[in-house]
Amino acid sequence: MEKNKTGVRVSSLYIMSNQSREEILHGIRKGLSTVKDPAQLLTDGRDFSKESKEVIENLSNMQDKLVEQFLAEVENVNTTVTRSQNSKKLIQSIAKLTKEKQVKSFAIWDTPYLKELGLKEKLKEEGLKLTTVKNKNRLAKADIGITEVDYAIADTGTLVLLTDKEQPRGVSLLPPIHLAIVRPENIVGNIRELFILLKDRIDTSGDIKSCMTFITGPSRTADIELNLTLGVHGPKELFVILTNP
Amino acid sequence: MSFEKVAFEKDSSKALKNKKLRKALVNVTDRFRAARLRASSQVEDWNELRASAREIKKGTIENLDKYLLMLEESVKRAGGKVHWAKDAAEACDIIVGIAREGEVSSVVKSKSMATEEIELNSAFEKNGIKVVETDLGEYIIQLAGEHPSHIIAPAIHKTKDDISELFSEKLGIPHYDEPEELTKVARERLRSEFLNAGMGVSGANFAVAETGTIVIVENEGNARLTTTVPKIHVALVGIEKLLPRYEDLSLFLTLLARSATGQKSSTYVSFITGPRRETDTDGPEEFHLVLLDNGRSGILASEKTRESLYCIRCGACLNICPVYRQVGGHSYGWVYSGPIGAIINPQLMGIDKAPELPFASSLCGACRGVCPVKIDFPKVLLDLRKQVVDKEGKSNRVGWHLFEMLGIKLWRLTVESKSLYEAANKIAYYLQTPWKKGKGNLDSLPYPFSRWTNERDFPQVAKEPFRKRWKKIKRELG
Repeated sequence: MEKNKTGVRVSSLYIMSNQSREEILHGIRKGLSTVKDPAQLLTDGRDFSKESKEVIENLSNMQDKLVEQFLAEVENVNTTVTRSQNSKKLIQSIAKLTKEKQVKSFAIWDTPYLKELGLKEKLKEEGLKLTTVKNKNRLAKADIGITEVDYAIADTGTLVLLTDKEQPRGVSLLPPIHLAIVRPENIVGNIRELFILLKDRIDTSGDIKSCMTFITGPSRTADIELNLTLGVHGPKELFVILTNP
Repeated sequence: MSFEKVAFEKDSSKALKNKKLRKALVNVTDRFRAARLRASSQVEDWNELRASAREIKKGTIENLDKYLLMLEESVKRAGGKVHWAKDAAEACDIIVGIAREGEVSSVVKSKSMATEEIELNSAFEKNGIKVVETDLGEYIIQLAGEHPSHIIAPAIHKTKDDISELFSEKLGIPHYDEPEELTKVARERLRSEFLNAGMGVSGANFAVAETGTIVIVENEGNARLTTTVPKIHVALVGIEKLLPRYEDLSLFLTLLARSATGQKSSTYVSFITGPRRETDTDGPEEFHLVLLDNGRSGILASEKTRESLYCIRCGACLNICPVYRQVGGHSYGWVYSGPIGAIINPQLMGIDKAPELPFASSLCGACRGVCPVKIDFPKVLLDLRKQVVDKEGKSNRVGWHLFEMLGIKLWRLTVESKSLYEAANKIAYYLQTPWKKGKGNLDSLPYPFSRWTNERDFPQVAKEPFRKRWKKIKRELG
């Protein structure tokens, strides 16, 4: 019965909200009727498929430069970067990191590249415990979260992560350490280029992910007397490993 | 925030006597100003970007009804629900209603000025729902039962010792001296709040009409947790926060972080489009967008002040404002402070409730100079002043107004005539003699000039006008 009552209350709220919708729109139109020469509606008229091809071509010509810029910017935001020459070295440096940080459990994204590396199995062989990503309480107890970023932005040192079935949001958020693997071909020069690629991706697939996250450095605050303190809510430490093309 | 009427003169006089506060204000504003200047000068076409952003905002606001409908459509397409709230009470009812329907007993919140505006926390508490602020600064403010004093750094008026004392008293823990230790305590406490909360409430920096995406910019990660962990996510968004196209975000994000904190990019930016998809492994099951009017549509009708709605809440105008830097956020009496507070509070609250605020400015225009969307603050302030004076003039202070008008007429007569102006200069030079003290400024003049010199100095009138001296100076400089 209680629930029924709540239901009635909520539906009356919806009716109220609907009335308000009309009132708000009416108020806006009334206000805007005084605009003498209203601006045109902003629509695209841009060919993102063509623009994105140009961006990609341009990026592949500049990759070395972008890699250098990205590394420099990432180090500016309290992040430790390692470059690895091949997949064997990549796994070695991850194993070294987990030892140094006394990591006992890990959560990981299941991207095709990480699967191909067999990283999950290798880490298990090292004696680390795999934490399920499905349970938030357990994920919060994992010592490290490992992701492979979809894009990275060179001029701000930003990692770009898309949410997907095999790419849950919590892995880069709940554990105290985040390790992100970046492949050089996914580095773009700036945010403007990134949005051209994203727009083309959305146009082509018709699919905008439920969540995209930009990450630039570890979680930080300066709310107490402007003292920079890391790890207030998200990961306290951020590690980036850049693979070889 | 409950209040009857903004009392700027009274509250700012109180703030001016608080030495601790003034020191903190200078620290925070200096830091942000320097960082903003550095970050913006690294962007080659900074001023062109500001001009484009202004154009986009202008186009959005002038077609607000169409873009809002587009946004509604896009959010629904992505599986979210859209609610419209015309005022604070209605917004609270809607959000509390969503919590009730979801049988939610505890709520986590990330920083949002819009939720401050509607006093959402007290609405939750009245309905027996626990609500926890999770931004560290806001958490401190909530524990202390106070209100934010800076849009970006809400607890900047509190010292480390204040916070240590507060945590010890409210959380029953020992005194910690280091910010790291205090932050760690907050992390642990708040982490369990996140994991147990049934609902997360956020604001948004931008809402994109084309895709239905809401964008949240932050450094701590609490907004990510708020929008990821609980089963329900509610975003309260002012109707002016719209951007037309997805790619417009690249421009606005470039401007926002640099203007606010001087970072090239904030630590986290979340782009949320609807609730989790069926195939997603985590994320909220429900996404609600609550569109808040609360006086905004009323601003649209005025050609002169409409641009107040372009604001993207970066706080750059606070940091540069010579008034804000002295008196701090609480003097502005409502949610928004600094120059943006001086123009937006009177318009949202009704000018009768904040008639002092348009005068809380020296009209120096520094705010206009840093604003990423180039809001013409002095123009808006002058129009609001006119509104206040038009109302007041009819009721009281008639004598003063006549006197003032006479003075201004006389001034105009003088400055429009070369000979009168030169004569007036000479007369003033000799008239000032009794109040001259050496070569310094004039620091106490008789009424009505004392209204100036009580608070400020006035430079001495020079013997020769600059125009004459300039010839000599030019020769000396070669």
